Amino acid sequence: MVTPFTSRQTKTNVGRMSQDSGAGAGDNQCNKTKILCERCSSVILLPNKATYVKKEIFLPHMKKKSESQAPEDGETLEDFWVVDDMFTFENVGFSNTVNGIKYLICADCEIGPVGFHDTSDLKAFYIAQSRVKLD
Amino acid sequence: MAKTYDYLFKLLLIGDSGVGKTCVLFRFSEDAFNATFISTIGIDFKIRTIDLDGKKIKLQIWDTAGQERFRTITTAYYRGAMGIMLVYDITNEKSFDNIRNWIRNIEEHASRDVEKMILGNKCDMNEKRQVSKEKGEQLAIEHGIKFMETSAKASINVEESFFTLARDIKAKMDRRMDATSPPKGGGQKLPTNQSQSKKSWWKCTIL
Repeated sequence: MVTPFTSRQTKTNVGRMSQDSGAGAGDNQCNKTKILCERCSSVILLPNKATYVKKEIFLPHMKKKSESQAPEDGETLEDFWVVDDMFTFENVGFSNTVNGIKYLICADCEIGPVGFHDTSDLKAFYIAQSRVKLD
Repeated sequence: MAKTYDYLFKLLLIGDSGVGKTCVLFRFSEDAFNATFISTIGIDFKIRTIDLDGKKIKLQIWDTAGQERFRTITTAYYRGAMGIMLVYDITNEKSFDNIRNWIRNIEEHASRDVEKMILGNKCDMNEKRQVSKEKGEQLAIEHGIKFMETSAKASINVEESFFTLARDIKAKMDRRMDATSPPKGGGQKLPTNQSQSKKSWWKCTIL
């Protein structure tokens, strides 16, 4: 199995959190509506289950941006929903672990990564706001 | 955050490679998506939520991906599993014949009271069928377990099969909880907070 992500992976660990309110978050910073897969509308999280956090995380692209794109090319994202228990998810898939990271995918159509989980932090599971849609 | 489910069941999907435990077609059907990244690293497990008789049940489902040969699947893999889906491909007789080997492997390595079910997948491909439905049923009867033909691609019986397996695990667990207090065994029963009605999921993949 090829796992050429070492150099990029370090970026995910340089998290920077703040208290800005994200799109779709209520006053309590929780998601007001369901969080759905952008492609197939599979329910990932029910309302009020996740909290908005600002954190810089590098994720490989979910969509193909160009013909020359390598599988591990990606972007640094800042706006995430976070839950502290994986069984809070309604439907989600976990990839195998690569350098301590498990990537989250849609359980139905398997598009991803829609988020990530650092296995060194058992209490944090992140979904990227820009890679899912709200109900 | 408070737990909002009643049961947590750990399930395994077992069967030869290529039986469609995961349906590859859908995953790669759209070039616009970066399918390479996830397919390269592979999927470990999925979490599914179902509503069963007013109870919210979380299913954590593992695929055997990458270690398909039954010789390589041993006790460690089966640990904690409460239900096992034995999947074969109705268009591939060898995958059906191997179900017996899989059952033997389970008897050898898994917990004795694990719930099992046999699925004959790809039943949308009737014109290429090599294994009759009767043969599948007969094998299931022989081992005293349930049987269904499914099509992950056409969304036939996939959801139903998981409901059936989950219902059987729940019934077994409820019987055990009635008999002993506090409960024993691998299951977790948690206080009810809410129940949620859900529409269909599992569009293409079984896992």
